[in-house]
Parts: sequence; C-alpha cells; structure tokens
Amino acid sequence: MDHLTRLENKSIYIIREAYYQFKDIAMLWSVGKDSTTLLWLCRKAFFGHIPFPIIHIDTSYKFPEMYQFRDARAKEWHLNLLIGRNEEKLKEGMGPGSGSKLDCCNELKTNALKMVIKKYHLKAILLGIRRDEHGIRAKERYFSPRDSQFKWDYENQPAELWDQYQSTVEEEEHFRIHPILHFTEFDIWNYVKREGLPVVPLYFSKNGKRFRSIGCLPCCSPIDSEAQTIDEIVEEIRISKTSERSGRAQDKENIYTMQKLRALGYM
Amino acid sequence: MKLFKRKTKKALIIGIDGVPYSLLNTYLQKDVMPNLKEILSQGLTLHQTNASIPDISSVSWTSFNTGVNPGEHGIFGFTDLRPQSYSLYFPNSKDVKAPTFWEILAKTNERTSTLFQKYQHKMSHPYRSIVLNVPHTYPALPMNGILVSGFVAIDLKKATFPESAYAYLQSIDYLIDVEAEKAKEDKAAFMKSLFECFDIRKKAISHFFGEESWDLFFACITETDRLHHFFFDASNDDKNPYHESFIRFYIELDKFIKYLYEQFLEISSDKGFLMILSDHGFAPVQKEVYINKFLEEKGFLLLKSEGNFYERIENETRAFNLDPCRIYIHSKEAFPGGTVKKEERAALLEELKMSLRGLRGDNGDEVIDQIYEKEEIYHGPHTHLAPDLICLPKEGYDLKGSLEKKQIFGDNIFKGMHTWGDAFCILPETIRFSKKPSVENLTEYILQYYS
Amino acid sequence: MLMEERALPIVIVGHVDHGKSTLIGRLLYDTGCLPPDKFSEIQHSSETLGRNLEFAFVMDCFEEERSRGITIDTTQTFFKTPKRRYVIIDAPGHKEFLKNMITGSSQAEAALLIIDAFEGIRDQTRRHAYILGMLGFKQVCVLLNKIDLVHYSQDKFLSLKGEVIDFLNQLNVHPTFILPISAIHGDNVAKPSEKISWFDGPTVLQALDTFEPLKIEEKPLRFPIQDIYTIDGKKTIVGRIEAGELKKGQSVYLLPEKKKVEVKEIKKFLEKDVSIAHFEESIGIRLKGRHRVKRGQILTADLSSWISDQIKANIFWLDPTGYRVGEALLFRCVTQEVPCRIDKINRKFDPASMELTEEDASSIKGAEVADVLLQLDEKVAVDPFNEIPEMGRFVLEKEGRPAAGGIIL
Repeated sequence: MDHLTRLENKSIYIIREAYYQFKDIAMLWSVGKDSTTLLWLCRKAFFGHIPFPIIHIDTSYKFPEMYQFRDARAKEWHLNLLIGRNEEKLKEGMGPGSGSKLDCCNELKTNALKMVIKKYHLKAILLGIRRDEHGIRAKERYFSPRDSQFKWDYENQPAELWDQYQSTVEEEEHFRIHPILHFTEFDIWNYVKREGLPVVPLYFSKNGKRFRSIGCLPCCSPIDSEAQTIDEIVEEIRISKTSERSGRAQDKENIYTMQKLRALGYM
Repeated sequence: MKLFKRKTKKALIIGIDGVPYSLLNTYLQKDVMPNLKEILSQGLTLHQTNASIPDISSVSWTSFNTGVNPGEHGIFGFTDLRPQSYSLYFPNSKDVKAPTFWEILAKTNERTSTLFQKYQHKMSHPYRSIVLNVPHTYPALPMNGILVSGFVAIDLKKATFPESAYAYLQSIDYLIDVEAEKAKEDKAAFMKSLFECFDIRKKAISHFFGEESWDLFFACITETDRLHHFFFDASNDDKNPYHESFIRFYIELDKFIKYLYEQFLEISSDKGFLMILSDHGFAPVQKEVYINKFLEEKGFLLLKSEGNFYERIENETRAFNLDPCRIYIHSKEAFPGGTVKKEERAALLEELKMSLRGLRGDNGDEVIDQIYEKEEIYHGPHTHLAPDLICLPKEGYDLKGSLEKKQIFGDNIFKGMHTWGDAFCILPETIRFSKKPSVENLTEYILQYYS
Repeated sequence: MLMEERALPIVIVGHVDHGKSTLIGRLLYDTGCLPPDKFSEIQHSSETLGRNLEFAFVMDCFEEERSRGITIDTTQTFFKTPKRRYVIIDAPGHKEFLKNMITGSSQAEAALLIIDAFEGIRDQTRRHAYILGMLGFKQVCVLLNKIDLVHYSQDKFLSLKGEVIDFLNQLNVHPTFILPISAIHGDNVAKPSEKISWFDGPTVLQALDTFEPLKIEEKPLRFPIQDIYTIDGKKTIVGRIEAGELKKGQSVYLLPEKKKVEVKEIKKFLEKDVSIAHFEESIGIRLKGRHRVKRGQILTADLSSWISDQIKANIFWLDPTGYRVGEALLFRCVTQEVPCRIDKINRKFDPASMELTEEDASSIKGAEVADVLLQLDEKVAVDPFNEIPEMGRFVLEKEGRPAAGGIIL
C-alpha cells in the first residue's frame, strides 16, 4: 500500500469511528485545502452520502472566490451546509477594521462556532488540522476533548493507544476530532493532486503571488510564488522543505544553540 | 642583557558561574571550604555584588568582560530579534559592541568603549592573556594569547584560538559543557557527568596555567551553574539525596581554588592581582512564570497559530517578552508590523507596569519585584536596542519568555533560578566600595592594576 | 497502485548512554542511508566535539525536527540491507516511559537490546528487557556494545554473555543472537571486525537479516465490523481489514457466532466492480442474504481465532489512579467493546522501583505491568499478538478513560 493510500485509509477509519461514537456530529469546513481534503475523505467514508451537517463559519469577510467555491461544492456534492454567523456582532459592525483583531476573530469565529455547537447540540466536530502546522500540534490527539470554554487540557490527555479513542463525553464537553492529523502540507497537496480535488483558485499564483493559507480577506497576505498549478505547488513545497532540512551550517549551529539553551530552561 | 625587561605583573581571575554570595558565606561558616577561608585571611575580601540586568550569564559575563553596561556592549540576552524583524537570533561574540578587557590589555581592539578610552594610554606595553571557558566568547576571535570559548559554544574548532590550542583540547577529549539534556533522563548520571566535566575543565585550566606564558589568566568554572539549576534544593538540605554530592562539588571547587592560588603565588612572587567572582546568584525556584502568557491574557499580546517564535506576533500586539523578562513595545518604528505609535508609548508603559505589578502567585503574593524602563538602567549608544521594560522577580518566581505555554504559572525540572543581587566577588582588601558594586564595575580594577 | 515493500520495524532499547543513538547513527551511516544533509552534519559534528564521528547527533537532529514539526515521527528513520528495508521505531524516551515503550515497541517486530560491555546490566536494561518479555518478543538480538572499552576481550564478552542469558531467560526473553560490537568504531555492526577475530557469529546486519517480518497481509482475513450504514437503501457493512485480504464472493465466518456468510460485494467510493480489498483498507461490503450483524462482530477466513470470555494477558497500567481487583472495566479490542474485570493478578512488576510481585496481588498501581486473567461479560474473538497484532492487543477503559494497554500472547 502506498503512502497516500495508507494516510487515506487511516483517516476514513477515524471518521467512521467518530460517527459511530457520536451521532450529534458535524464537520467544520473552512473551504481551505485541508478541510476540503477532509470533506472529500468524509465523502469516501460514507460513499458520497455524508450523514451529518457541514458547518461553514462565515465571518462575512471571506474572499469572494471562497463563497463561490463553497456554494458550487455544496451543490455538486449535495452537502447539508450550515452557515454559522455571529449576526448580532455583524450588525453592530464588528470587523477587522473596527477594533482589535483579536476581538474580531473571537466574536466572528470562536463565538460563532460556540453558538452553532449550542444551537445544534453538537457533541463532536471534525476538523482538518495537521500535526505539522505548528509545534504545539505535536501534542494533539485524534480525539481531543474540549470544555465549554473550548479549553484544551493537553497535559492531562489520556493516551491514545492502538486506534482506540476516548469517546465518553462529560456534560459541557465536546470532542474535536482530527482525522487528517497525520497528513503533512506536502501530503495534502499530493493527495489533492492524486484525487483531482478542486481547490479555491487563490492557492495558485497570480502576478507572482499566491496564498499558502486562506481565511478572511483583510487578514490574509499572499506569499511570493510562481506556482500556477498543483504540480508547481508540490515542487515549491518540496524545495522549501529540502532547503529547510538541508541544514546550512549556521542553521545547524542555531539548532544546537537552541537545544543547549532549552536544556537550561531558556526559550 | 635583555633588551626589554618584561614587567612581571600577573593577574589571575577565576570566574565561578552562578555562585551566590550567601551560599559561599554559609559554606565558609560550615567549613565546607576551608581553603577559601584561609585565602580570605590573606589580604582578600569577599563582597556581595549585583549581576547585570537581566541576570543571565551571557549579559553578566559580557558586562564583566567589557566593563561596560548593556547599553554600551549591546548584549541583552541569549536571544534577540534582528532589527526591524521578528527573526530570532543568538547574539555571539561578534555582536559585542565594546572591546573586552583582554583586548584592551593587548591593544588589539577594533571596537571602542568608554572604558577603553579611559585606559588606552595608560598601559606601557601589550599584555598576553589566556581566557578559558568564559561564557559568550564564542566564536573565538583572534587575540593576543589563547582563548577557549565557554557557553554557548558549539563547534570546538571555532571556539578555540589559536589552532594549536585546539590540538591539545582534542587530545584530552575536552568538553565544552555538560549535556544538560541528560538531567531529564537520569539525574544521578547527570550529577556524575558534572564531576567528570569539572575534572576535564580542571585538567585544561591547569595545563594552560602551567604550560603557557601569560600576563593575565582568566578561567571560568561553569559546572556550578548547571549544578545549581538542577540541584540547588540540595545545597542546604541534608535530607536531600544529592546533598552529599552537592557539598562534595564545593569541596572539590575549594581544593581547586587552593591549587590555583598556590601556583599563582609562586608565579607572581606574591605581587599578583587576584579576583574571584560570579556572574549572578541562585535561589530555589518555586514557580516558572510565563510572561508572554500573562501578556496574552491581559490583551497585550496576540499570536498567530502558525510561524516560528516571534514570527507569530500579530500586528495588533502591543507588547511581548523575550527571556527572561525583557518586554518590548510593538512600536511602529521598531517592528515591521508594529502598531503602537510614539505618542502612545508612555501610556502603554504605565499600563504594562500596572498590569505586571498586579501579577500575583497562588498565595496572592507579588511576582514582580522591580520594573525598569530601559533608560533607567542602560546608557550608551545601543540603549535604543534594549527592551522597553525589564523586570526582576521576587525570589522563587523564575520569569520566562516561552511563547508556547498555556498557563501563566508552571513547574519544570529545575530546582534553582538566577538572582540579581546575590553575586559575589573576592578582591584585594585595598579595594573598597562605597555602595554595592555591579559586575561591570569590577573590570576597571584589572586595568588599574596594569596601568 | 504503487506497492511499497513493507519495511521490517525494529525497536532499539537499552540503558541510557549504552549507545542507542550512536548505534542508530552508525546503522544509517554504514548502510548509506543517511540523508545527504545529515551526512554533512555528522561530519561537521564530529569536528565540533573534536572527537570521532559523533553519531548520536543524527538522532538529535531528528529529535529537533520532530519538535519543530518537520518530521512527524521517526518512522522516517529507514535503513536497508541488500535483503530488505528496516524502519527504526521510536526508542522509548524518558517522558511517559511506559507509554512510549509499549506504543513504540508494540509496533516493532524485532528488538535490539543494547548493553554496555563495560557497565553491564543496569536499571533501564532490566526495565526494557522485562517489557520486551511482556510484549512477547521472539526476535531479539542483544548487542554488547563498547567492546572496545574492554579491549575487545573474549573473556569479558563470554562472561557477560552468560550473565545476560541467565538474566533474560528469567524474563522469558530468548535472544537469537548475542553479539559483541562497538557502535562508535563500527566493529561488527555492518562489517566483521579483525579486532574480534575470535568471534565467528554474524554482524548486526546479518543477524537482522535472519529475522522474518510478520506478513500480516498474508494471514487469514480479519475484518472487524465497525458500523452498518444504509447506502441507497442497501445495508453496507464498513470496517478495516486488519489481516489478510477479502475477495468478492468469498465465504467467510462471522465471529463469535461462527456463522458462515458470503461476501456479495465490496464497496469503495467511486470505484466500480471491486473484486478484492487488502490489509489496512477501510472498505464497505454487502453480504449475500439477510443476516443480523452488528459492530464488534468479526468476519474471518478461518476459525483459528480464540473465542472466549476469559483472557490471559499482559497489561500495562497507564492510568495514575491504578486498579483494585473486581473494579469494572471496558475491554476494547478492534471494534469489540465488552464490560470486564480483572479476576486475578498472577504477577506484577513496577518498572520504576523494579519491584516484582510474584504471588497474587490485589491491586495494580499506575505505571505497573502485570500478568492477569480477565473475565469478560461476553465472548470475544482474539488472536495472539505475535500473529495478528490488531487482534491481539486491547485497551482497558476505566470510567470512560483509557487506563491500560494489553497484549495477548
């Protein structure tokens, strides 16, 4: 079995396990490449008939291309699409320009999601996060309980042994389930390519720039890139990983320095 | 007939990293260090001194090495951000903006400083130094003599000048440092490795001391700092399983000081200049305090979920912290994404101070002892690069710069933390201080001796 | 579909400082399997410390990459011999020792136990060896490392070898090989060494090549039912193949009832007329005729599984609150979930204190390992862990939280 097929089958197993354990479940779809991959895997897991709603948290500040892409896929794939919006705050004029960006994210994303979870009595949400996104993600589990404040108590997480996932949910708790945790950014693009998945065109280079991740229009900035096709993106990531890995002497020295400082409690 | 009659001035400086004045006093009283006690009765005095601010080795030793404050030498921590960016780097010997005293003594300095200007014409001829294992001297820069860098040296070859010294170090399997990572796995084995590392250090120091010619000999012992980080709770607690080893380490240290002292008396015909000093003190640690988490909770700091270290700073961030407690205002002038305007700075500093003073531990006790604005403690041409606020904690609270903590308070494997006001120095009794000296005040006495 | 030959997973255990990292570096280096960037790093690091090649740095690099999220796990630490590829499973770290040791080691099909020839058997040697025994490792090779430090002495090797055999046999570990090596100098790792010309056994690589991988894909089918969906009005059974393969039209048993059923159709999304599904695939199937099926039942190609409500197993207690005999637990093995309790604790071991309790104990503490008898409320189907890993390992939940891992031998 090849690498991508192995990743895919593991994800499908987790998605099905999640659906068995929690009937009050939904998938969070940001319309980006990762959660679109997850959506595709859900379609595979349920043979094209996803038995739960797909939630899009709409801050109203997304790129027009994202709305277009969302509506086209929802129709094509017969999704039960729920839009979560914090209408109250939007009416009050909340936006990235209106005050602190933290408040904006908090109200239009986090609180909007809290509202959806409450409204639909959800006990679990499928999310498309990857372990290689950030250092802290290394500690993520496939099944990760959160309290009502969305707090993640990662130091007290139970072990996740042998594909047996914790599923008892306490009052006020919900689970975040991460079926593509084991994919890397490189895997995602290779998988998108292999499966011929559609992605939002913002990922492709236009005038020497492309978006590596997409979200709200005012808060996203593109990177310099000439990659206009998925093949070129895969190549771009491969090269950047290689250069990241090909420890230039100074980098290496920095890594050792960091290790030594960390061993004494710095950084 | 000798064409040039060399002056026979000899100086010996022994640095002992992280040894507190208070502990030294206790051990002198308890007769753990009888040799040092004896030495102190021979015209030398023990003083309590202040470390640099912040009280970490790279800054404190650089302050001593250059005899000027961080505003002038430009080193504020083990880590720093490159100007106009969020990119973290590790300042090294090349980033020190002021000459070291051995460069001043050798007249080989390319950089200048207030101390250099004061003494540049007072030395009759260049002096040769041997400088061993002094922190923040990596990579080894060419100098008149021999230099082997200390912490954080990585590549022994780059840590050694000249190359002939490298061959010797290689031949004895010299160790730059203990592997502190090992302490996590096996504390007993780590303790053992501290002694082994100290042995190799003594071997190298004794070799250069006896086999090479020098006017000034400056060697640092850094195992003490590692010992304290992981075992400080054993220093005065005879029920602690490591107490005996801890004491044994100081007994060995005491013997080695005696050895160097006696050799030195012989070489210098009793006319030499001797100084023994530490760069900061140590105290037991109760809690680690993650200042960035505090700033985040108070709404000063906003982090993206992606990126490395400080690249995660969102534009809306108003302030953030670097190890141990160096708080920077996210100003428009200093950072590409900075949003704090000049006119907002003063109010923000006040707001930060208020917040920080309100930071309380579990028992409602204060965490922050002193808060300084950079202008209050630093002076010199590089003050503008300094953090805007620098805090010193109450004893027991170890302030940290990590960006990845989920709670403000946490525990770690460390048993000791650095302290600012409890470093020490031992100097000839003729030297008196009207107020408690700081580590950078001591350097001048070396230059005085040679002028 | 591109088929990759499965690499043989091995685990390397032993006391800290006995040379695990150095051995790994040496294995990668001598088999030419160091990535080019790592190779130049090694050369650089060797100068750094002013010593011989410092192979341990290789592992440090991987470690650092892992913490920065560059490499996700060490399953990327491969090396190969002309015979096959090997993958080094994460050796146990100091944090969460027991969990790492069992999650890491339980994925491995062979183990290298490394012992410093100068220092001999130490605490962690005992801990690790005990757990290898509890995990039922059959393919074990002991490496008496740093043979250079005992001057390549045959006497020293033989006396330590005797000691090691006695010690391991007590723990039910029967090593296939005990080899003298020096990882740092490369003696007898990839190539024989003249310095130990008295030794006529294999090198580490030759010894490894005699081991056999567990060919799970060739074992009889095990297909635990995960769920039942109704797709286009038809009942579709979903699950993952945990051993062997499944063919359209194949006649299989439904366990634990041992009922014979026939596979009418294999379903994969967007694929038509699937005739076969392989090990590790998550698929859907339809059965011929009407059958009462539910999650937890297992489709098998034969009747070689054990079907019982009593199971003897070795368990690894992870939950800090421990266990008292009689307390209620939930047994979870593949998709089987059955209430159970521990009836009898035959023997237990505390890796931290190295305390071994031989007679009946009445409780298990956190981080202890034990040999127990489980009494289940219903019959389950299991296989020996060494035959079909997924069917031979289980998790015990206490009050809804995973409390222990277990192995059936």
